[in-house]
Amino acid sequence: MEEPVDTATAILASAAVLLRECTFDDISYRALADEVGISERTIYRQYPTRAHLLAALSNWIEQTCFPLPPFVTVPDFCAAVHERFRAFDTLPAYAYVGARASAITPTLDTEPAYVTRAIEAMLDVAAPTLNRRDRRRVAASLRYFSSAMFWARLRTGFDMDAGEICDAFDHAVAAVLARLPEATWAPR
Amino acid sequence: MGPAVTGPALSGTQTAILAAYAELIEELGSDDVSYRVIARRAGIAERTVFRNYPTRVDLLLATAAWIEATLFAREESHSIFDLPLAIRDAMQRYDERPELAHVVAETAMRGVSGAAPSPGRARLEQLLDAEVPALDAARRQAVIAALSHLDSAGTWVTFRREFGMDRRDIADAAAWAAEAVLDGIRGRVVPERGA
Repeated sequence: MEEPVDTATAILASAAVLLRECTFDDISYRALADEVGISERTIYRQYPTRAHLLAALSNWIEQTCFPLPPFVTVPDFCAAVHERFRAFDTLPAYAYVGARASAITPTLDTEPAYVTRAIEAMLDVAAPTLNRRDRRRVAASLRYFSSAMFWARLRTGFDMDAGEICDAFDHAVAAVLARLPEATWAPR
Repeated sequence: MGPAVTGPALSGTQTAILAAYAELIEELGSDDVSYRVIARRAGIAERTVFRNYPTRVDLLLATAAWIEATLFAREESHSIFDLPLAIRDAMQRYDERPELAHVVAETAMRGVSGAAPSPGRARLEQLLDAEVPALDAARRQAVIAALSHLDSAGTWVTFRREFGMDRRDIADAAAWAAEAVLDGIRGRVVPERGA
């Protein structure tokens, strides 16, 4: 690391290094403190519980390793999600941390993820006359099928690789969008 | 891949431990509960808890499996097309026990060392193969994967956290998405023979 970083970030960077050798549960605050070269108390001050650490670590990993490509149209959305699923396959330990963090009881007042807003904006443009309830159901479904959770479930529960997970994602997206009346779509 | 949701039969002591821990999670969260407090709540010695569940991870995974198999048990579907009803029901149950729903959702996201992420998979495959036997392998897999994903605590967590949905909206949206997945195979049902 060339630039000086703040303590909170240094802790996350070190946790990410440890994650290459062991699972998140095996990373003790003791080991983490030694790795960073600070006291255990300093870590507790930054991350009072393991849930806080998990959430912050997931955000850091997300920004550093899995930036979401921007998208406006549905095909761009699908391409962006494919890219992420493939990135997850190259760093599974990191991707599982993201999936776990999105499942725990929120520690802070968490904002909806960027991807959620981007999906809603995409639908506003793609299907401008869609009623509110359907739009929300579509957005929620697309969001959930594009998540690290979907990748994690299919990888662990179905032994699928990124290619197969992308196919399953495409099937799910097509099924959800097929429910929308043709007339609600913007002229294409 | 974790064990099936039924898993090995639990002893009375084990059930008491898991039920006590589940109660305490609802009261205190999963981070702060010591073995001593769990033992006291279960009415047994602390070393008995250790003997049955040597680590906190062992204990948490066993508890998550027990919660999913008991408190969140599904009513059995007799047709794959009944699944949206079961999902609607499950979402309402998760909403009544939010702390436990988060535990179940999170432990399923730990990879091979975690809880089974799609415990209902075998049953779904059985139903689908009986009713819609002519699907190609990739399509069949995609349908099962999508339905397994929707029929889980992760759905409740995501819809609530990302969209601020309440109980009815979550149940409605999850069932709606399952209907969407089933739409693609509705026209391909093969009638049961010999009926």
